[in-house]
Amino acid sequence: MKTTDIPPADDERIPALRTDRVPVVRKTAAPADTKREGTVLNVFSHGVLIIWAIMVVLPLLWAVMTSFKTDRAIFTSPWSLPDALHFENWSRAWTQAHMSDYFLNTVLVVGGSLVGTLLFGSMAAYVLARFEFPGNRFLYFLFIGGMSFPIILALVPLFYVMQNMALLNTIHGLILVYIAYSLPFTVFFLTAFFRTLPTSVAEAAFIDGASHTRTFFQVMLPMAKPGLISVGIFNFLGQWNQYLLPTVLNTDPDQKVLSQGLVQLAVSQGYKGDWSGLFAGLVMAMLPVLAAYVVFQRQVVAGLTAGAVK
Amino acid sequence: MGSTSAQSNEGGLGRRDLIKRSAAVGLISVPAMGFLSACASGGGTSNDQVEKGVKSEKNPLGVNESAELDFVLFDGGFGQQYAKDAIKLFEANYPKAKVKFTPTQKITTELQPRFNGGTPPDLIDNSGAEQMDMGVLVGQKQLTDLTPLLDAPSIDDPSKKVRDTLRPGIVEMGQFDGEPCWMLNYAYTVYGVWYSQKALDSLDAKYPETWDEMLAVCEKAKKKDIAPWTYAGKHPYYLPFSLYPMIGKVGGREVLDAIDNLEPKAWEHPAVKACFEAYYELFKKGYILQGTPGLDHIQSQTAWTEGKALFLPNGSWVENEAAKTMPADFGLAVSAPTGLDSSDKLPFGTIWAAGGEPFIVPAKAKNPEAAMEQLRIMLSEASSKSFTQSVKSLSALNGGTTGIELSPGLKSGVAALEKAGTNVVNPRLQDWYVALQKEKIGVAGIGEMMAGRATPAETIKKIQKFADEAAKDPNIKHYKHQ
Amino acid sequence: MQHGKYRFIVGFLVVPLALYALFVIWPFIQSIYYSLTDWSGLSPEFGFVGLDNYTRLLDDEIFWKSLQHSLTFAVVLPLVTVGFALFLAFMLNVGGRRRKGAAVTGVRGSSFYKIVYFFPQVLSIVIVALLFQFAYNPNSGAINSFLRAVGLGSVQPDWLGDPDLALICVMIVLVWSTVGFFVVLFSAGMASIPRDFYEAALLDGANRFTTFFRITLPLLWDTVQSGWIYMGILALGAESFAVVQIMTVGPSGGGPDYSTIVMPLYVYQKAFRDGQAAYATTIGVALLLVTLAFAAVVMKLGRRERLEF
Repeated sequence: MKTTDIPPADDERIPALRTDRVPVVRKTAAPADTKREGTVLNVFSHGVLIIWAIMVVLPLLWAVMTSFKTDRAIFTSPWSLPDALHFENWSRAWTQAHMSDYFLNTVLVVGGSLVGTLLFGSMAAYVLARFEFPGNRFLYFLFIGGMSFPIILALVPLFYVMQNMALLNTIHGLILVYIAYSLPFTVFFLTAFFRTLPTSVAEAAFIDGASHTRTFFQVMLPMAKPGLISVGIFNFLGQWNQYLLPTVLNTDPDQKVLSQGLVQLAVSQGYKGDWSGLFAGLVMAMLPVLAAYVVFQRQVVAGLTAGAVK
Repeated sequence: MGSTSAQSNEGGLGRRDLIKRSAAVGLISVPAMGFLSACASGGGTSNDQVEKGVKSEKNPLGVNESAELDFVLFDGGFGQQYAKDAIKLFEANYPKAKVKFTPTQKITTELQPRFNGGTPPDLIDNSGAEQMDMGVLVGQKQLTDLTPLLDAPSIDDPSKKVRDTLRPGIVEMGQFDGEPCWMLNYAYTVYGVWYSQKALDSLDAKYPETWDEMLAVCEKAKKKDIAPWTYAGKHPYYLPFSLYPMIGKVGGREVLDAIDNLEPKAWEHPAVKACFEAYYELFKKGYILQGTPGLDHIQSQTAWTEGKALFLPNGSWVENEAAKTMPADFGLAVSAPTGLDSSDKLPFGTIWAAGGEPFIVPAKAKNPEAAMEQLRIMLSEASSKSFTQSVKSLSALNGGTTGIELSPGLKSGVAALEKAGTNVVNPRLQDWYVALQKEKIGVAGIGEMMAGRATPAETIKKIQKFADEAAKDPNIKHYKHQ
Repeated sequence: MQHGKYRFIVGFLVVPLALYALFVIWPFIQSIYYSLTDWSGLSPEFGFVGLDNYTRLLDDEIFWKSLQHSLTFAVVLPLVTVGFALFLAFMLNVGGRRRKGAAVTGVRGSSFYKIVYFFPQVLSIVIVALLFQFAYNPNSGAINSFLRAVGLGSVQPDWLGDPDLALICVMIVLVWSTVGFFVVLFSAGMASIPRDFYEAALLDGANRFTTFFRITLPLLWDTVQSGWIYMGILALGAESFAVVQIMTVGPSGGGPDYSTIVMPLYVYQKAFRDGQAAYATTIGVALLLVTLAFAAVVMKLGRRERLEF
């Protein structure tokens, strides 16, 4: 298992990088012979980028458009614009998929588990990354080994663990399970990240009399913000779309989460042919996340940027 | 988290401290593990059934009038309204009893843990893509025998037993080995070749009785740019809905029984070969809608309701399922499958009809009497009529259609059943050996042949091999026609 | 530094470890135990059968097919997704027209592209699979309609209905839905590479493509490796399961003729359809080993690569 070791940071590759982190824009003009190459490249890159953008956007626009059509029109003329805006699809999906309730449940579950995942994940990762103690390696591999466990295998035994602890069909029970299943990747990611942080700041804080705990919360955690943002996004997406765990552990109709509502719509279209309702439901589920991304994308990208090259 | 701040800590943590601490952790974790291992796979033996009620004329099954009934329904093509209506009737009869009603599409995912824990619901509509394997449930003695229900008096006519009010085959389908009846199929499905009467009329044709006539009609349709056939290419196990009864018509019931019994060489019978070759001809002559192998059931049904294709092998649920895209003047009709010629063993009209939508009562149900009473209510004429009207399907109750307006497809289905008389076949592969029927014979066998990627001879060889493997597989419970 | 160290370590590890042991490790240990039994999944009774399920696995043709497809996914999907994402990210950040004062620039509107490319990532994979099912419809779907429109009416593949194409169709969907995330991740990394490096390399006579291999890739290597592992695990696990189950031919996917069966789907079918939960966990154990091997190989390769720079 030694080979799977995560190598520490990359200082040795290009020594200049560590000391010179701030991008410097030089005022020198570029050599002239590369100019034409630049233009060709520019045209080519724009072409590729635009084509991919179209390939991404078209299916989504089509889904939005389809959510306003009748079921008959979806199949008979899938590419034409709707004859009228059939808002009844939306109201049907809203009531049938209980979007409003499910949305609130999802926000609660994902919000709670995201905070928990980041807190507990960073605590474990910090200890594993920065402290030598017997069993460190073992625990580390125990955690990252979890990335490769297929969740589907654990469902039935997990159901009984939850039942015996009276956590079945509860929001807090679901939060705990989400946290537990998000820990492997979070620990994997953050351990690598904490190893790259300079040790001097923590040592200085420690010498100043701060406890380990205070050093962690007041010094290390703020320094780790970019890493936390990156792994937070990974986890948010995973938890928002998770549906195997809630399907088994959360069957109470009042507590269901959005992904369950969508799967319910998706399955039932196979029997009822309610495609328009399905598309309305999926657009409804898609828009808030898209909106959140567009609003926060500056912060997301900034967080990722600071964290990407250490 | 901040556990370090509580105590003062001089001189750091020595080795002895560490050992003490890890011992303490050990002490805590040992009982925790013991507690956890008790959770391993549930209780299992807790069988605290509710007290039985007093039997009376109004309550022949002895339902406890104040106990809860836990009812899980597959919320699929038939929706949940019919069950809700029947629950209302139950609650009217037993005002103190509560019904906990859970519609779901994920039958196995939701119920598997409850079966394991010995706390299954009382009544389950075990249907859909995640249907629990009936063979396993019966084999592992997880179900309650429904004989008390069958012997209870019917709601409409107390002088008759429930079993005498059911359509032929319903009780037999519930019997897997011997007398006990483990499931009750509530719906009654007519399988066959579905078409639009309007489209057939426009070709100036009538439904063909022999294969030569079939090919002639196909040629006419093709000339008018209508594909003669389509089917659910992604679920090719829809093809047997017309292919199996055709085999039965050509070679007699024994051929189908041999197939069900997984007898060696059952598939090598000449009737099977002749029917496979007939269907393969549809492909060879280009009579199948372009792209059919990539269509799912909804997509193929839509192509068909749009008039792009003429014939579609399907079951009577198609009327409800395709209602949204079916034009009002479609003239939905079903016919028994076309045979080969006059030398066929059974007459034209031989059709596949059988129960569907199996309801079961688990062996560990807390309130089996109420579950059976709920089924008894559903088998009353009033409930059956409301089911037929709302979901356009026949129910297991024989008759029960008088005095209500039948939809075109349903009317055609009833007529087809009348024409068939006793020539109703009921192949059992799809209940007994789900994986064999759908994935192996359906997708890997017939599906590949109809897409033109295997010849009939190759396909028969392949299917026979699948059947032989299933017959030998000790992990599968085997059944035989009685 | 020794001051209260162990108490701190224990204090910080106890909650995460307890959660993890209780909800992840313990259920998995139980399910591995089930692989040694004949448990059906539908009743609490079962008997111990030793390694019978494992010997059965060796003779199971469908298992080998699913293994082969899963391995294909684990190799091809990260390669294509990460490679294509790197390409797009490089275009976004370095492909721009030279502007005054900077040797390399991003294309105009790069932040717009970054927003757009991320869209599929916010969709549940279930929905993505349903959308593409419409596109692949051989009769009235987008792709065949497009082919007809450009005069290729004779080329009308069955897509998911064709055993030679179905697996590729599935992989395209997975690439489509995941590439955007990596574009954003990698371009964030590229944006923080000092421009000086590029300028120095360009002055040395390198063109932009060689700068990619000499500067961009080595500096991004850690991120690429994390992304590689993340993608491989998605490809071996939940994502491939959902897409195959929803899109492909058969009662619960995997067809035509087992041409798209993958390991997690086979686990699901055995456990939730065939009532053979013990055998399902056996396949799951095999999947576990494959995933572990995948992670080990990537990390090992990543290491060797590092030494070259």
